[in-house]
Amino acid sequence: MTARGMWARLHALTNKLAGAGAALRGGLAPVVLDFVMIGLTGLLLTYTWTWFARGPEQAVYLVIPWWALFLLSVELAGAWESFGVSLGQSLLRVRLLAEDRRPPAFTQRLCHFAAWHVSGLPLFGFLVKPALHERAARLSLQPHITLGSRPPAWYLRSVTWFCMMFATIATAAALGASFSWDSLSRLFSDAWRVAPIWRALVSPSLTVVRDSLSDLVVTLFMAVMATAFAAIIAIPLSFFAARNLSRSPAGRFGYAVIRGAMSILRSIEPIVWAIVFLVWVTSRYASFAGTLALWITSIADLTKLYAERLEAIDEGVIEAIAATGATRLQVMRYAVVPQIVNPYISFTLYRFDINIRMATVVGLIGAGGIGYRLITALTSQRYSEAGTVMLLIVVAVWAIDYLSARFRQRLS
Amino acid sequence: MNTPRSTSEQPSSPDREGAQTTHWLRDRRLRARHRRRALSFFLDWAIWGYVAYAVMFFLNYYWFTRMRIHWYDTLTLPAWGWALTIAATFELAVLCRAFGRSIGLRSFGLELVPADGQPTGVLRRLARILLWHLSVLPLAVGFWGPCEAPWHDRVLGLTLRVSRKRARGRDAADIGPEAQRPAKRAFATQWGVLGFLLGLLTLWLGWLVVQGNLSALVRRAGKAGDLFGQIARPDFRYFVQEDPTFALRKGGFSIVDLMVSTLLMTLLSTVVGTVIAFPLSFLGARNLTAKGPWGWLTYTVVRGFFNIFRAIETLLWATIFAVWVGWGSPLAGVLALTIHTIAALGKLFSEQVESIDAGPVEAIRAAGGNALQVIRYAVVPQVAPSFWAFTLYRWDINVRMSTIIALVGAGGIGNLLFYYKNEGLWSIVGAVVISIVVVVWAMDYLSGWLRERIVR
Repeated sequence: MTARGMWARLHALTNKLAGAGAALRGGLAPVVLDFVMIGLTGLLLTYTWTWFARGPEQAVYLVIPWWALFLLSVELAGAWESFGVSLGQSLLRVRLLAEDRRPPAFTQRLCHFAAWHVSGLPLFGFLVKPALHERAARLSLQPHITLGSRPPAWYLRSVTWFCMMFATIATAAALGASFSWDSLSRLFSDAWRVAPIWRALVSPSLTVVRDSLSDLVVTLFMAVMATAFAAIIAIPLSFFAARNLSRSPAGRFGYAVIRGAMSILRSIEPIVWAIVFLVWVTSRYASFAGTLALWITSIADLTKLYAERLEAIDEGVIEAIAATGATRLQVMRYAVVPQIVNPYISFTLYRFDINIRMATVVGLIGAGGIGYRLITALTSQRYSEAGTVMLLIVVAVWAIDYLSARFRQRLS
Repeated sequence: MNTPRSTSEQPSSPDREGAQTTHWLRDRRLRARHRRRALSFFLDWAIWGYVAYAVMFFLNYYWFTRMRIHWYDTLTLPAWGWALTIAATFELAVLCRAFGRSIGLRSFGLELVPADGQPTGVLRRLARILLWHLSVLPLAVGFWGPCEAPWHDRVLGLTLRVSRKRARGRDAADIGPEAQRPAKRAFATQWGVLGFLLGLLTLWLGWLVVQGNLSALVRRAGKAGDLFGQIARPDFRYFVQEDPTFALRKGGFSIVDLMVSTLLMTLLSTVVGTVIAFPLSFLGARNLTAKGPWGWLTYTVVRGFFNIFRAIETLLWATIFAVWVGWGSPLAGVLALTIHTIAALGKLFSEQVESIDAGPVEAIRAAGGNALQVIRYAVVPQVAPSFWAFTLYRWDINVRMSTIIALVGAGGIGNLLFYYKNEGLWSIVGAVVISIVVVVWAMDYLSGWLRERIVR
């Protein structure tokens, strides 16, 4: 067999697998959604029930064995999909219909439910489209079209009732999880505790302001340094992370690597980075640790924003410049850069805005700046000092927010 | 000074008869120009003040203590030192404005041009600096008269006008069609050179202020690698099973327990916040509410509430409520998230209401509908999709926020994170971090997917 033939065969096989995967995904999506939502309802119902029956301390999420809940949810999801319009079906805007787009007869529904146990539960039935159990009942999942038919009133739909039930149970569980009698009674009787904070917010103590201003300067510089160095790294990176500028195989690889790395870095909160860097450079260089934490997340965020802007540029200009015989660098300079300068500045300012907020937050775990002063004042119960520091933070953040919004408005 | 206004400006403003006697304070356009002039001057002054601060900081750091101490006593200056600094920064600002286009002038879209079209020589610029002292320093007498330009500019035949790029309306008409001058290269302008130097200065100063230290970073890289190694091998021992030593409340909590309760906290605060913000947003919409004195009052009060409460961030609210209802209580977190959700969503919602099409509102009014019916049949159908999208987006933000508000004692999964961090059990920290990342990512994805479906 020639290499070319093998290659073609491999290609066909991958295509087939991809098709099966897509069918599996498409067919499974409503089932999984229904299963998850029903299972969640079960867990929350148990929690609420035990919270009321046994008291807050003994509240648990499961009283029946987990496999029983699993089976129950699966059965309920299957039944809901076979005999009604389930949540997943209505969210994905599909309906179970006969070939002539008629609503299925009861026997067909019964047949679908029975066959679903055989082919749907072991998942292999979903590998083809329409799924095997749908074929057995001569039904198929079709896109929902409302043309010419009047949908039932909202109070006649099972989805509405399920959502209302879920909302009630979830609210009850949330109330149970977050309220305790202690804290509730303190809410009504202990308002005096925060009186010093409010007092300081309206009449700050000037000595505290004078002492905290140096920390505020540190916080501002943390944000400035993090944003500046992140922009320096992210601008070149963004050209490799833009899909339309990296078409070669090597470019594709670089694109995937950079985008993947950035999305991992971005999903870890700056506060976690700050914890890591505080251990790394020690708390002697606390504000440096905070800066590094902001820097890492800013790189990830800015690269993504920049690259997305690069992907949205006008290709016509590139072609026009390239047609004049310009080199690759010249194309970049005269076709790409003029289109992105203002958005890049605007994104950087936006990130600077976020960094100012985040710089106060990372300060709270000890990474320097005004946040650190706030948390020390709080833990040593100097509430009026804490109030003054909070006022400083609010004013600084608000001022920077306002300025950067004005600036960005002018840029666009 | 019989003809203070230059001839080139005379024909362009025939509609203002007796403009000679109009004080610039009564002309809106001139007032705006003078405001810009003042603001741009203060920006220039602030820039040189910043340079002076940096110089004092460097003097202190490299020559005096090599330590970062308070901003106000980095170098103990005698009284004349302060006076000298202020005077010197003033002079530098004036110098920058007379020679070339200073950063302040450029930022506020002004330029100094000769009214007679002749090139501005060095002598004229020097004369301007001199006259500026006579005209501005003694109680700004140069600005007193009823004329367009202050005295020192009038004498020298200069005008500080709105730059061609920024001029709109009558300003643009005053400038008229003018030959396009080729733009100077950035490095040949004051803006380019001074801006670049200021950037370098900022990075240098910032490195010292944040105590940047590469050697600490390199020296302890092994330690960090060790830490990363432990975090990357997460220990899910207490994922479902409760940690007996973590006795926050009776019985303790596992990761799953706290994660679920965190999610429930966000759910509760998002739902309650939305339910409260929804009716308030109609009261805070200018086009629906701000009619008549009571309407204006309502509008102002509601908008003011949104703006003030939004400026105090979730974490600060959490601080307040943690002090109020007790350290570590989830109720504090719920209250903080709810208050900030109300303010933030209320503002977004009312901006959305302000941008609706007025046609349906008028139609329902004309048909005799009352205020509630107008909202129900004309406003809500127009804003519903974006309201849902904003709510989901807010839920997303709340989930992110709720994972860290434990830092200030407001409950949630962060409690575990900071507990294990303080204990130094890094592999369990890794497990908690991974759980948080997965949940936040899933919520992000879910809310993005739902938003896309709703908006479509």
